[in-house]
Amino acid sequence: MSERPRPIEVTDPVTITVDGRQVEVQRGELLIDACERNDAYIPRFCYHPRMEPVGMCRMCLVEVDTGRGPALQPSCMIPTAPDMVVETTSERVTKAQDGVLEFLLANHPLDCPVCDKGGECPLQDQTMAYGPGESRWVEEKRHYEKPIEISPLVLLDRERCILCDRCTRFASEVTDDPLIHFINRGSNTEVNTFPGDPFSSYFSGNTVQICPVGALTATPYRFRARPWDLERTESTCTVCSVGCRVTLESSRDRMLRINGVDADPVNWSWLCDAGRFAFEATNSEDRLTEPLRRGADGSLEPVRWSEALAAVADALGSADPSSVAVLGGSRSTDESAYAWAALAKGVVGTDHVDAQLGDGLPAAVFDLPGATIDEVCRPGGTVLYVGPDPKEELPVLFLRLKHAAQRDRVRIVEVTPTSTSLTPYSAAGVRPRPGELAAVAEALVAGDAPADGVAGVSADDLRAAAAVLGAADGPVTVVLGRANLAESPQVVLDAAAALSALPGVRFLPAVRRGNVRGAVTAGMAPGRLPGGGRLDGDAGWSGVWSTVPTEVGADAMGILAAAADGAISTLVLLGADPLRDAPDRALAERALDRVGTIVAIDSFPTPSVLRADVVLPAAMLGEVDGSTTNLEGRVSRVRPKVTPPGTARADWAVAVELARRLGATWSATSVEALRDELVAGSPRLAGTTWAELEAADDGVLVDLTGGGFDPGTPAPVPQVDSYSLRLVLSRELYDEGELLGRSESMAGLSRTPTVGISVGDAERLGVEDGTPLVVRGERGSSTLPARVSAGIPRGTAHLVHRLEGSDPITLLSADEVACDVRVELA
Amino acid sequence: MGYLDGFAVTFRKWFGTRSDTGRRITVQYPEETRPKPPRFHGRHVLNRYEDGMEKCIGCELCAGVCPARCIYVRGADNDPEDPRSPGERYGFVYEINYLRCIHCDLCVEACPTEAITETKLFEFAFTNRSDAIYTKSELLVGDDGRPQQLPWEHWGDGFDPAEDTSGWMRATAPSGDASFEGVVAWSGELGYGVRSPEGGQTLEQETDDDHDDGHHDDHHGAGH
Ligand code: SF4
Ligand code: SF4
Ligand code: SF4
Ligand code: SF4
Ligand code: FES
Repeated sequence: MSERPRPIEVTDPVTITVDGRQVEVQRGELLIDACERNDAYIPRFCYHPRMEPVGMCRMCLVEVDTGRGPALQPSCMIPTAPDMVVETTSERVTKAQDGVLEFLLANHPLDCPVCDKGGECPLQDQTMAYGPGESRWVEEKRHYEKPIEISPLVLLDRERCILCDRCTRFASEVTDDPLIHFINRGSNTEVNTFPGDPFSSYFSGNTVQICPVGALTATPYRFRARPWDLERTESTCTVCSVGCRVTLESSRDRMLRINGVDADPVNWSWLCDAGRFAFEATNSEDRLTEPLRRGADGSLEPVRWSEALAAVADALGSADPSSVAVLGGSRSTDESAYAWAALAKGVVGTDHVDAQLGDGLPAAVFDLPGATIDEVCRPGGTVLYVGPDPKEELPVLFLRLKHAAQRDRVRIVEVTPTSTSLTPYSAAGVRPRPGELAAVAEALVAGDAPADGVAGVSADDLRAAAAVLGAADGPVTVVLGRANLAESPQVVLDAAAALSALPGVRFLPAVRRGNVRGAVTAGMAPGRLPGGGRLDGDAGWSGVWSTVPTEVGADAMGILAAAADGAISTLVLLGADPLRDAPDRALAERALDRVGTIVAIDSFPTPSVLRADVVLPAAMLGEVDGSTTNLEGRVSRVRPKVTPPGTARADWAVAVELARRLGATWSATSVEALRDELVAGSPRLAGTTWAELEAADDGVLVDLTGGGFDPGTPAPVPQVDSYSLRLVLSRELYDEGELLGRSESMAGLSRTPTVGISVGDAERLGVEDGTPLVVRGERGSSTLPARVSAGIPRGTAHLVHRLEGSDPITLLSADEVACDVRVELA
Repeated sequence: MGYLDGFAVTFRKWFGTRSDTGRRITVQYPEETRPKPPRFHGRHVLNRYEDGMEKCIGCELCAGVCPARCIYVRGADNDPEDPRSPGERYGFVYEINYLRCIHCDLCVEACPTEAITETKLFEFAFTNRSDAIYTKSELLVGDDGRPQQLPWEHWGDGFDPAEDTSGWMRATAPSGDASFEGVVAWSGELGYGVRSPEGGQTLEQETDDDHDDGHHDDHHGAGH
């Protein structure tokens, strides 16, 4: 089967005999793996290298002799031991395999021609390779209704199921959505969901990938192609910043499927459903396919590229450099981000460049000493989790953390404003009041707390959490993210500054967008140069570029504020939608109203794009070549599989062409050359040249030592207003954002918006689940049904960004550290 | 006599066409046509069941096996309320490019439902490439089971089922049903039905005559 054997380091060798050959294997590893690694592949259905073995299918029977004579044993359940003698092809083994396959096929329908798995089916392949060749079954087979929908994305055909327990094990063991089970007994055993309780898991697509037959099929791929039509290339998912390794599979220049690749340091072959199915957006009818320019009558008209580029070059070249700003770039490749950084800083000469929209983390988090996912999940380690619900924002990181906590004795201390999916796996947890994270971080570092607690956290809870940190075996690692869009990101930096006092601490910045880290490292942040250097300490880029800005520019919120004041004449939106995402809607509106020329480079007509004067269509995931940097700082290749629609181009190609039109002499005019130019000037990126990335399947880590972390001016502690609830604005995986909202099968999966309040506040207001509540802030109000949750601390209101029918980001203001809202009965 | 031997052949044949075997070989085509051999390979049809359902299930096995890569098939989900074919899947797109087809009949052999078969219709001449690509609506037989005549096809005296339906004979057991193993069967075509085995192709000969290439590979997998 397609799974790679789990990499293993032989530290405690034992010698066993496999088919007459003496081989050295790791003591205690499973025989099935040991044999595979030593060129004796044993057929299997139920065994998966990333899940606990169960010995369900008996396909892996081999003869094992441990001194008491050879006996047939399932090799996926037998740990290796010294002097084992194993026969994998003897007559008894072949007979057993014949028998197992004949039984498996007894009730298996002859669906191969209409089955999505046909052509890449382990049951087909192993029947051909190891089967009896002929069936003696003449009786009627078992019949079920087919297929049944077990979730909006996954269909189940019970006739085809061979009861291998892979999907059910995945649901209960790898994720924590045990929503599919075996029901009934004997030959009536079937996989099914509990009635009315669908398999709505963020990871349901993985079961389709691991099912060894075509029992589970995914609606987005169902009947779209046969395996022999598909062309594949290995790439990296950029939907979030975990950077899972994937195969992009297409047929006739249309992306049809994405599967996970087992990258040991990252995703272990798993993907979330957003990463797996959001490619549908690339096939969307809404894609921008040709350049647009605002005509005399004020509407956007299609124009030729040359005309559009001339207009952009003119807007960039004629403006005073300090009145040019670039927002966005965290969805691009490293090379595109570098090309835009070089265009903005090295050609135009402005430092008003920010890859994020004030909804992420400041670039300073990448100056903290870095930890990899593997280091965070080190068996026996201790993790301080400060950030958003990982299942909602960084799904596969959640799987890794859950595995670490459940199976590798990792102790997690959660510091989040509400409970998260990680709460059941955490050793301790505290819920600081939004805006006061730093005080809690200080108390945790100090290990003690005043009797009346800190920032709404009781002294007992703080002491319990500090005790877990204190008992850490080795240095603590911190996962550092932004849990709350309604809280200033400065609060997170202040907390990081406090946590830096922990001995040997290292940080994993839990940024959300696909390539925030790569874009910042390529120079797309104010005051930064490519490679992490500072503007004031010019890291030699003045020798490469024709100019280097002299003054440190503004960040996204600063740019929007300057624009609202009329100080920005040309604003470039590089896949950025400030009207939807900037945590100050009123400011974004005023800014876009006053900017002279807005240039949007995007794949979809977002609200901000529709306000632009020139729109350039951009290629998106699966269409661009280059590399991406995940949250750990692992640079890996993204490869193109299909051609972009219409005349859409990669972001870097637009930047290079604009630079030429602005008269710059810039020799790097290909992705390879851009990468190598970026690496040549950035010592911290050593080892990530194009050639080195091509050679590394699982990516290359950049230098994570960090240094020069400057948290800036601490945020003031906001006053508590006891009549208000403090807002927590978080994100969910299924939102109505650009990608998911435009993916046919994913659109409509987002939850109905609610306002989450604590049990105590619900009692005070006299409301229960579903009661309509008005959430009133200084800038607006909205009416939403209540959701009463024990996971929300008293005094907190929890809303979710970008769900259909609610727009809570309008409540926020850029100058507030936290946002207080009144919640009343409607 | 050297080179004159060659002329002898020419002259013999010249007279031979009239008198050699007592029958004339040259006919006044296209007014007159000669009978087609029983296994003649002409253009394809997509067949239907007696109830009008399409036989094609969009499995792409024909496209996968085609050595000329001239078939393009895509499947789609049947609407359970109004299915096109029995089962979950039907052929949503079906195209054959006759500028590339070599009429090898491997597609016919691969088809699990006998949906694609070849007629003996071969007289078609196009003036552009897109006419050469027969689409599903052109390949699909009508409700009477007869192929549709396309504007650029010459059908002589019309369609004669006995003369113009497939000369194809199935080599593998239909439907994987073990009780049909080794039984010779012609493909069932609506409007013509099935034919009985040709002489010399009985079950006995099938099973004990191993040189009969292609006819013995259905001993595997006939029942699962
Ligand atoms: S549905 Fe697939 S993965 Fe699940 S038990 Fe059946 S065969 Fe195994
Ligand atoms: S977890 Fe993130 S990187 Fe992985 S598949 Fe999902 S969106 Fe992509
Ligand atoms: S007859 Fe042969 S060449 Fe023609 S479509 Fe069928 S398989 Fe292809
Ligand atoms: S014609 Fe036959 S082989 Fe071809 S797609 Fe249809 S059912 Fe499959
Ligand atoms: S693989 Fe060992 S019993 Fe299934």
